[in-house]
Amino acid sequence: MKYTALCKFELSATSREEAIAELLGLFPVGERSQNLLAGALDIREKVGATVVHNTIVLPHCRSILVDKLTIAVGRSEAGIGWPKNRIHTVILFVSPVRLNAPQDHTRFLSHIAGRIKKFGDRIVAAETQDELLDLLGFQHEELEIR
Amino acid sequence: MNKQLEKLISLHDLDVMIADLDRKDIRKREIEMGLHKDGVLEELKELREEYCKSIGRKWRGLYNQLTRHYGNAVVPALMGRCAGCLTRLPTAVCSDPDRNMKIHTCPTCGRIIYWAD
Repeated sequence: MKYTALCKFELSATSREEAIAELLGLFPVGERSQNLLAGALDIREKVGATVVHNTIVLPHCRSILVDKLTIAVGRSEAGIGWPKNRIHTVILFVSPVRLNAPQDHTRFLSHIAGRIKKFGDRIVAAETQDELLDLLGFQHEELEIR
Repeated sequence: MNKQLEKLISLHDLDVMIADLDRKDIRKREIEMGLHKDGVLEELKELREEYCKSIGRKWRGLYNQLTRHYGNAVVPALMGRCAGCLTRLPTAVCSDPDRNMKIHTCPTCGRIIYWAD
């Protein structure tokens, strides 16, 4: 199964807060919802950073502010202070709060775990957006301008 | 958006986060991935207690009562209906551009309603 994802291949963010805000800026939700999601993701990262494979981070939560699994992938050549790790790949995702959503959330976690285990080094070294999304098993999602 | 409504939405998402980290399947997966750290759940619960204090007593009480009864206290309006019980919401409220500037509850189930922006 291929998941669709939003992508910003060259993030300008240098800090965790900026990176989360930059990727949430791709989400098809309004500014207020983006700020509320940023708050939830920031809480999770503060109590336990979701860093895997040294330079990949997976900020995630479930929220009533989205109605489907929404994924945004970002990459930074220079690296982002997270703040203890230097992060180059950010895979941010928010799952909806629905009856079957915990299972969907777990299924997606399994998918991403498998991909990172199999292609971790290649994901970090990906040179193009298409290569990065392909390694993660994602299709690029183009959003209509609202 | 009404500040108390924003806080109630954030409290709801924080409660979902706590419930998820308490779920066996999600915790197992997060441990396997190296995402789970000891003490995270306790720290989130402490944060929740702190956060609750910033919400007015009236809304905090309603939120807790609805959560106990339904499991979810805050729901979005979907196509003019309460996403919790599917009751059609009053047209006057749904068509008001400032509908999120005050807290509305479903006339049938009483859940707190917000409109996605």
